[in-house]
Amino acid sequence: MTETKDKLPLVLLVEDNETIRGAFVILLEESGYRVRAAATGAEALSVAVESQPDLILMDLGLPDLGGLEVTRRLKADPRTSDSVIVALTGRALETDQQACFDAGCAGYLAKPVDTQMLLKTIPEYLGTENAK
Amino acid sequence: MIELQLTVRGPRGNAARLRDLLAREGFTLDGDWATEGTALRVTVSHESGDASLQSAAREIEELDAALRELRNLDVAKSQFLANVSHELRTPLTAIVTYGEVLRDGLLGDLNDRQREAVQSVIGSSRQLLSMIEEILTYARTSATAIELEPVHFATADLIRTAHDMSASLIRKKGIRFETTVEKGLPTAAADRDKILHVLTNLLGNAIEFTPAEGGLIRVVAERSAKNRGWICVTVEDNGIGIDPEHHEMIFREFAQVDSSRARQHHGTGLGLAIAKNFILLHGGEIGLESELGKGSRFFFTFPSVESEPQEGAD
Repeated sequence: MTETKDKLPLVLLVEDNETIRGAFVILLEESGYRVRAAATGAEALSVAVESQPDLILMDLGLPDLGGLEVTRRLKADPRTSDSVIVALTGRALETDQQACFDAGCAGYLAKPVDTQMLLKTIPEYLGTENAK
Repeated sequence: MIELQLTVRGPRGNAARLRDLLAREGFTLDGDWATEGTALRVTVSHESGDASLQSAAREIEELDAALRELRNLDVAKSQFLANVSHELRTPLTAIVTYGEVLRDGLLGDLNDRQREAVQSVIGSSRQLLSMIEEILTYARTSATAIELEPVHFATADLIRTAHDMSASLIRKKGIRFETTVEKGLPTAAADRDKILHVLTNLLGNAIEFTPAEGGLIRVVAERSAKNRGWICVTVEDNGIGIDPEHHEMIFREFAQVDSSRARQHHGTGLGLAIAKNFILLHGGEIGLESELGKGSRFFFTFPSVESEPQEGAD
């Protein structure tokens, strides 16, 4: 990448499990993204307001606020409403995909996410797949 | 208290003899010794009868309580399964994700043998995950009341989707795959996700138990011959087949036809139990025809827009 460090897309990773968070931070940083991480819904809200990420990967099973509730609040807040939010969760029988879209998610990925697929999809969500 | 109303006909002496007999046997005679012509009516009660009746009632109560406890335990078991499998997924997700990070050289280049080793870790973990997903699905379907979300869909599309989901496996094993959909088959009216789940499960079994050489799977969708307006889908393979004595058992949870097969073919033994649950929820039927060595033919039915509610389905 030729951009300066500041221009790299910023991804906020919201995931309550520390080990999984660590894996995704490595994956995203090594793939050329700036990464912030949050372990709870409350943390996600404050980090998002402070850093205004381009993309938010949102685990739906958070210990405090549910990921969908966090998504609704971020979408309702003009400071964060531009961030693209993609939900990460278990398989289809558990969470209604429609509920994800209704809350304001741009997409939905089943865990464990295929990392190659994720890296291919992120530019599409960011609308930068042609910018490279 | 057990009460008997007796009517004695005949000479009065008979009544007296009866009274003595009953008294000797421990009955209390509560005599409204009314006479009507030659008939005698008497109410008798018996202490031991009383006691055995009470103990029978107590037994029924105990059985009822035990049954209720069993039902609670069954729900608790399913909830436990759901919780455990949910918890198992988290570390496995971490294993898979770290594995992929390593495999793809994000932390430095691997040589071919290292990459293969890491790929085996990932592959096995994903296999474990899919089994856990199956347990989770089963536990959820039996711990909570599942509500169907019926929609209208074309059965041909459903078969295509199911085929696409298994296409790489079918290709890899070199199995021939044929589909026949009856002309003019009515639009299905059922919970599409659940019917798809059933079909992909049967297809997965067919793929697993069909030989790589000369393997053939046929999926047929037609009108049910038995229930008007119902759709019947059959999945037929020319694999190892199933002994008729096992036909009923394989739809039970945790069942594997035999332990040697369980060693050869992995799986939780829950797939068909889940499929059966989903079909029964629709009021449909699921079953199979098969003989050892002659392949298997599974079928299941679900409603269409032309179906009338079925009676007596179980």
